[in-house]
Amino acid sequence: RKAKLFPPVPPLSFLHSFWSDGEQTPESRTFPSAAFCRPAMEINDGEEEEEFEFSRNYFLAKELGGSSKKSGRKISDIDPVDEQELRTAANNLEPKHEREVASLMESYKASYPEWGFMLRTGFGLLMYGFGSKKALIEDFASTSLTEYSVVVINGYVQSINLKQVMVAIAEVWWDQLKAKRRNSPSQAQQPFNSRSIDDLLAFMDGQEADDDKSFVCIIVNNIDGPGLREPESQHLLARIASCTHIRIIASIDHVNAPLLWDKKMVHTQFNWYWYHVPTFAPYVVEGVFFPLILAHSSTAQSAKTAAIVLQSLTPNAQSMPIESLYAASRERFLVSSQVTLNSHLTEFKDHELVRTRRNADGQDCVYIPLANDGLQKLLPEINP
Amino acid sequence: GSIETREVHSAVAFVSARREWLDGKQNERVEVEAQKTESGLVPTHLALGSCHRGGATSGFTVSEFTPAGKLLVPSGSSSKGLHLHCCCYMEPFTILHKASSRKTDKISTGTGKSRTTRRIDLTASLPASTDISDVNAAESNERHYSNMRMEAFEAVWSSTESSIKDVLREANATIFSEIHEWVRDSFDTIVSFGVPNFHEATQPFPVVKDATSKQIFTGLVLTRNIEFVDDLVTFEDLKQHLKSQGCHVANLSSVDFSSKNGVGTCLRSLLGQFVTGSLDTADISMLATWYKEQQNNDNPVVIIIDDMERCCASILSEFIHMLSEWVLKVPAILIMGVATTVDAPRNVLPSNALHRLHARKFTFQSLPEKMNYVVETAFVKQSSEFTISHKTAVFMRNYFVHQNGSVTSFIRALKIACAQHFSTQPLCFILHWFLRDEDNEVPQSHIYGLSQERMLKLAFDLPSWKSTNNQITQLSGETLLDGLTQLKKLHKTWRMVVLCLYEAIKGENVQLLDLMCEALDPKGPFASQFDIGSRVLPSDDSTSQKFHSLEKNKGLINRAIRRVKELPANQLLVLMKAWEKHTVDVPEFHSEVKALVLSLLKLEENGESLNQNKVEMTNTRKQALRGHLNGADKNLRVANEKASNLVDLMVRRYMCPVECVALHEVLCFDCVDQLQAALIGDMRRRIQMDLQDFHAIIRCSCCSKRGSTILPSMPDSSIMYTLAQEHGDVVNVHDWYQSFKSVVLSTHMVSKRGKSRSKQHSPTPKKRKTTSELSQPSEASIQYPCPCSLLVVFSLFCRLSLLFINDGAVELKWKTLKT
Repeated sequence: RKAKLFPPVPPLSFLHSFWSDGEQTPESRTFPSAAFCRPAMEINDGEEEEEFEFSRNYFLAKELGGSSKKSGRKISDIDPVDEQELRTAANNLEPKHEREVASLMESYKASYPEWGFMLRTGFGLLMYGFGSKKALIEDFASTSLTEYSVVVINGYVQSINLKQVMVAIAEVWWDQLKAKRRNSPSQAQQPFNSRSIDDLLAFMDGQEADDDKSFVCIIVNNIDGPGLREPESQHLLARIASCTHIRIIASIDHVNAPLLWDKKMVHTQFNWYWYHVPTFAPYVVEGVFFPLILAHSSTAQSAKTAAIVLQSLTPNAQSMPIESLYAASRERFLVSSQVTLNSHLTEFKDHELVRTRRNADGQDCVYIPLANDGLQKLLPEINP
Repeated sequence: GSIETREVHSAVAFVSARREWLDGKQNERVEVEAQKTESGLVPTHLALGSCHRGGATSGFTVSEFTPAGKLLVPSGSSSKGLHLHCCCYMEPFTILHKASSRKTDKISTGTGKSRTTRRIDLTASLPASTDISDVNAAESNERHYSNMRMEAFEAVWSSTESSIKDVLREANATIFSEIHEWVRDSFDTIVSFGVPNFHEATQPFPVVKDATSKQIFTGLVLTRNIEFVDDLVTFEDLKQHLKSQGCHVANLSSVDFSSKNGVGTCLRSLLGQFVTGSLDTADISMLATWYKEQQNNDNPVVIIIDDMERCCASILSEFIHMLSEWVLKVPAILIMGVATTVDAPRNVLPSNALHRLHARKFTFQSLPEKMNYVVETAFVKQSSEFTISHKTAVFMRNYFVHQNGSVTSFIRALKIACAQHFSTQPLCFILHWFLRDEDNEVPQSHIYGLSQERMLKLAFDLPSWKSTNNQITQLSGETLLDGLTQLKKLHKTWRMVVLCLYEAIKGENVQLLDLMCEALDPKGPFASQFDIGSRVLPSDDSTSQKFHSLEKNKGLINRAIRRVKELPANQLLVLMKAWEKHTVDVPEFHSEVKALVLSLLKLEENGESLNQNKVEMTNTRKQALRGHLNGADKNLRVANEKASNLVDLMVRRYMCPVECVALHEVLCFDCVDQLQAALIGDMRRRIQMDLQDFHAIIRCSCCSKRGSTILPSMPDSSIMYTLAQEHGDVVNVHDWYQSFKSVVLSTHMVSKRGKSRSKQHSPTPKKRKTTSELSQPSEASIQYPCPCSLLVVFSLFCRLSLLFINDGAVELKWKTLKT
């Protein structure tokens, strides 16, 4: 599903510039991405022309890109280092433009009243632009939204249980309600975590509040993050956002993030008000789950884990050859029945040592998804 | 300091430490002061941490973080070797803070007649040396004023919004009542098939009679919208209407009919709307039980499915089957929205489900008609004076026609415009004053935190005022009052003329929005005489002749004037009667229109008597009659001519575009760019622009000489991005890294460059002017203290691209590299 929403059409493919004869200055470099995003409006015809230029460039680039030969160099040529070493170095890295970034963040403070105003008029704020916006949004909430409760959802975390989040929001809202009318006895409440999602939504949407103006504000850092990319999560978030007593502030970073929503969600539920707030702040927290690509990891790491798994297997399973078909295995008295072979294969598959694919004749073939150098490293380790 | 406000139930702290320091410290307690980290995050209440130790994550778990944000270590051990690198809020969610109690002591929001609040100049900054209480007072005042503005906005917007909603509902009123009638008839038919007796009714299975009794009455509603967002509004209105008539109504959306969850989801959703209390299982017999328990069983159950074509066909047909089995116990009537044609069910549903449906078609009004209602209410007839400039109107028109095509979004755009007007225009509260109709007293600006002097200054500094009234020296409240009254009057007459013009060409499939755009144009052919400063001039016939001949065939306004000239008598009479209503406030025109109506009425009477005469006409009288008819024709032509002249005069004398009026900034929203930015986020382009033109945002001094070169001082991501642009379709990570390296260490890489470039098969042997004149060679080494930092930077960027630029691009190449 993820693949569907975020199709692997690499934007990098149109990130590159367009050169007609190898001579090009960056001034004349056009910005191909707009071939994919319709210009916002066409007050004049100039933009249409511009758009045409963009699409022309895109196809031009496609042609060139297809004909170019691929570079055969590998990352291992760079001589990557150990992951830990990388992490340590990352800690000591001097951030660039620290002062400018700080003053940029500071400059957004002037917009806080406006953001607050828009939030109160019922819009959901959608922050985008390069740089981590987590600190900015939370600072805004801490300074300007003190009279409302604020719940932060971190979309960059791998898995989020939205039901739990809703329970927390409902509790906060309940506290807020209680605080306002202290005299009225709190009616016997079913604990929130045993209520259904619809009940919780109805509670947050309900007319129980004395004045309709108070609300709970939800901040969703990276609403397009891996933990929230499922359509179900987005639908649920949209339903939460459309409740009377909920306001939402979210940040997005993925260029395709708007594809997560249909028009109903955008216009009636989230009710987005877009703000372009580039911060150029490092994505420290947001990126923590993603691997450091130049760490000495991929092949070495998989070889290491492969070795561990293989060593823990029975000797027969260890010496299973790559394209072992049942017959071959049987010849060598490795397995005595198809069932045993299958159980071995299942084990391998579970540990990603072996994968299957279908060949041209429709037969299932097993293969080892390791690079050659990985295999070379692996073999001496298991057969010393 | 933020410890009190944040509650983190648990968090993971990545702590790196010198290896030798950590040796042997496993399972010991470590104390670390909370400190500000690079990312600006302040680690607070932590409960759980883990430590990277040595090479691998050894599970060095720091289990005790005190509420004060400290990790505990045994006394005696130094914390110097430990560096808290990053405290990540790895919690899926946290509560940042709870509503503060300050809200309770907020200043009460009344009209604030006699309150003695300190008047704060909005634009003037606070004096630097105010003590804390002053600052607090200022803060609370500020909050109060913003509340007042908020109130003003709500008053203005809700008056517009409610009238739009009303007009849309009215537009649908006939079709709604038609649907209701049909629902009633269908219900009677169902009941006529037989009502289950007590025994049958209490059994948990359906009552089965013959096949005809299994049919479900189904209304297929052609919504004729482009976007189903608009349908939702219509169906919600329909639901309310049917509910008010006593029906039990439930709304189901296409999401409920997804193949993933089966028919259970829509049943649960259906039950949820009728049965209170929690539902463990969803079963249609529960619905039957519920229906039986209703006080009066003489109301049908209406189920509205908003977009039938988006539903999963198998689930929908299963649902239909189930309903049809139970229809005698639960008299359900379906209403399904259809976006395309009435054939849609035939394309979507299997035949056995189709057989169960007894369908009837209903058609709602078309989108352009709805749009005309909305525009008419929002801009031409509305009670609030808020309006938009010509540019904004054109933008909103294009947004509707080319991009969005939904009335809901159009209204949303209008709301954004209105909200922006209130958040940017300091004099916006005058709109509220207009709304309250307090024409005889000067707006009370102090309620909104603006002294009267300040308000006058702001008003008389408006460009429109300056350019028109620079000769007026005495600037008092009365002058402002006069100006505002004049503004209101002119705006009103403008609306009157637009309405009259619209009435004239209503039948010709014309969009009011187009007409409005034309009429708003301050540079349009009809606006030339309303040059700021010389409004309401006596018409000069020679000039008007001139531009009429020039613009004869252009524009909707001219078309309207022409059409009035050619209208047949009966239509002209209808039009004149409509004008009679609209022109009440302008006596000059009103009397003329009245006279025209009278003459037309006379003409009609004559015509009728002629027609009657026609029947008993004899040959000898024919001649005389023809002469009479010619006379009637002549009279009509005279009437046409009169009406046409009248509308011409109206346009020239009273159709003053709002932007030509002094003080129009008060009620007219003009920041079209701002509106566009808020409405349409241009995610992809803007992110790429950020990276490319980072200097415009960051404004650093070091990269100012950038021009066409890539400087090592640029943000790493920008360098990487620019380099990626220069590569081909897919970036080879190795080459990419090398180019990156050569940029950041550009001094000693320059010579190697050519060589490495020729080897790389990057399709772009681009001429990039790498800075060879980098003044301090040590700069790079300062930025990147060890060679491996480069790898880090690069890795971090790749991580970024995995995170948000795209998860496909790098991965793809990565795979090709591996295999």
